[in-house]
Amino acid sequence: MKTDHLLVAEGMSFLLGDDVNTDINCSNKYMPGKDIDYVAAHAFENIAPGLANDIASAAGGILVAGHHFGINSSREQAVHVMRTMNVRAIVARSFGRQFFRNAINNGLALFECDTSLITSRQFLSIDFSAGTLMLNNQLLHSVSPLPEEILAILSVGGLIPFLQKYPDWNFE
Amino acid sequence: MGLTISEKILARHAGKSLVKAGEVVVAEIDFAMVTDTRAANTIKMIGKLGDKMLPFAKNTALVLDHYSPPPNLEAAEIHSSMRAFSKARATKLYDIGDGICHQVLPEGGHLTCGDLVVGTDTHSVTYGAFNALGTGIEGTDVSAVMMSSKLWFRVPETVRIELQGPLQPGVWAKDITLAMLGKFGAEGLNYHAIEYVGSAVSAMDIDDRMTLCNHAAELGAKAAILEPDEKTYAWLRAHGAKVPLPTFADADATYAQRFLIDTSSLAPQVARKHEVDDIVSVVDIDHQPIQFALIGTCTNGRLDDIRQAAAILKGQKLASGVRMIVTPASRQIYLAALREGLIEILTEAGASFESAGCGTCVGITNHLVPGDGDTVISTANRNFKGRLSNKNADIWLGSAATVAASALTGFITDPRTVMGGTWRCAA
Repeated sequence: MKTDHLLVAEGMSFLLGDDVNTDINCSNKYMPGKDIDYVAAHAFENIAPGLANDIASAAGGILVAGHHFGINSSREQAVHVMRTMNVRAIVARSFGRQFFRNAINNGLALFECDTSLITSRQFLSIDFSAGTLMLNNQLLHSVSPLPEEILAILSVGGLIPFLQKYPDWNFE
Repeated sequence: MGLTISEKILARHAGKSLVKAGEVVVAEIDFAMVTDTRAANTIKMIGKLGDKMLPFAKNTALVLDHYSPPPNLEAAEIHSSMRAFSKARATKLYDIGDGICHQVLPEGGHLTCGDLVVGTDTHSVTYGAFNALGTGIEGTDVSAVMMSSKLWFRVPETVRIELQGPLQPGVWAKDITLAMLGKFGAEGLNYHAIEYVGSAVSAMDIDDRMTLCNHAAELGAKAAILEPDEKTYAWLRAHGAKVPLPTFADADATYAQRFLIDTSSLAPQVARKHEVDDIVSVVDIDHQPIQFALIGTCTNGRLDDIRQAAAILKGQKLASGVRMIVTPASRQIYLAALREGLIEILTEAGASFESAGCGTCVGITNHLVPGDGDTVISTANRNFKGRLSNKNADIWLGSAATVAASALTGFITDPRTVMGGTWRCAA
């Protein structure tokens, strides 16, 4: 199988810590009845006050977190909220298993690496096909790229557009 | 090159002879499940896919368990939409009071050894007790499965954990899983499949094996899977499951890590308030009062759990100031407990029964909110601050025997120190 999808993300870094629970911080699980725009405007406010506004002011950005981003029974809505917030990608030490699926299925690319050297508001440039992360135009991390199948799903914007295009799961 | 159980199941369902950990495969699904917490999202995603045929609907169950019974109009409307969707698309449906998804799926004969089963709930790992690969997914995933019968999977690395030595009377699978959380930490086995083997597992009955696999969700596991044996086959036969395809790991399978754990001297364990991995042996707890005792959930709401509680509370009364609620994991369990006289024993002791479902686990039915300053001891799988709708109440976790012994004395108690606390089901 060959793909030549060019999957890149660029933007400013916005920092979060370890064990970010996206159900609590980025969904309406505890805000029943609130719509996605409301949740997006208030996302992460308990752990990173002003973050949603800062990302909006920067016209989008890249979230950078520690271990287990999106732990527990991770709701898919969190990814819809982050896309509404104009989050272009997430870099973290590790992702919760379900969050990883949700992000791929909804076209949000993830990069797994040590994030200890990244600080807030630095310019990041990620090439997902190559598995490289540049910090201020210097190579910071080179990792095994995401599998081709995942890149194929990401490149069309997620699993639903993928299946609309390839109902037989034809990756070729 | 040898394969682990999870690798074999994924390879077989992907039409391959070999798969490697880290590889992505597209695999045929045997059965899918959607709970009421994710049904609205699932139905929305199916709508986004377009008005397609859903050939897999007949192998999909919709389960109305989390909001059971519905606490508000929003939940009631989700349920109405699920009933309508189920009727229109001819899915299976388990309505309120039928039970928790992870209990009704095996009870309904919907899965067997060697199957690949997905559900919109992290505790779908429970199906590993039957040598099936069960794993949690979300709405987009389910819509893909219902349309195409397939789903993508990243093949997990497997960790093999051998649990050596039979458990002491009064010690249960719950105590092992809590000890594992203490050892590895919450999410400590993120992305991994766990194979539990060893004499402790062989000695367990099916109820305890389900607890063992279920709680692996808190370890972050993608699957937790057991080798099948005669107990597995007998249980599956009794519940009308299709012919099993027993799946064992190869002798030369590759594991990310192997652990050998002596369980013969394990004492009952509890998770202290707020953290599922803040684990302490019950013998080391010095007079911790409790006011609320809960038995239920997909982790420990099964017949053996209710029997443990009844063995301890038979002819006794709950300690002064203690309230106790029991939620059987399914209608079948409720009926079995009724026929065995367990409900009478526990009700006379001062406990109350609620309808089968997820009610005791999380404060989304809002029918058992603890008061400010209350300490809860629960058989649930999670104890995050505020999980029962009150941030000013603490939740501790333990086995059904530990919960019942604590309800009897009014403080967290080693079940082995009270009468009936070492009850064990005759094999």
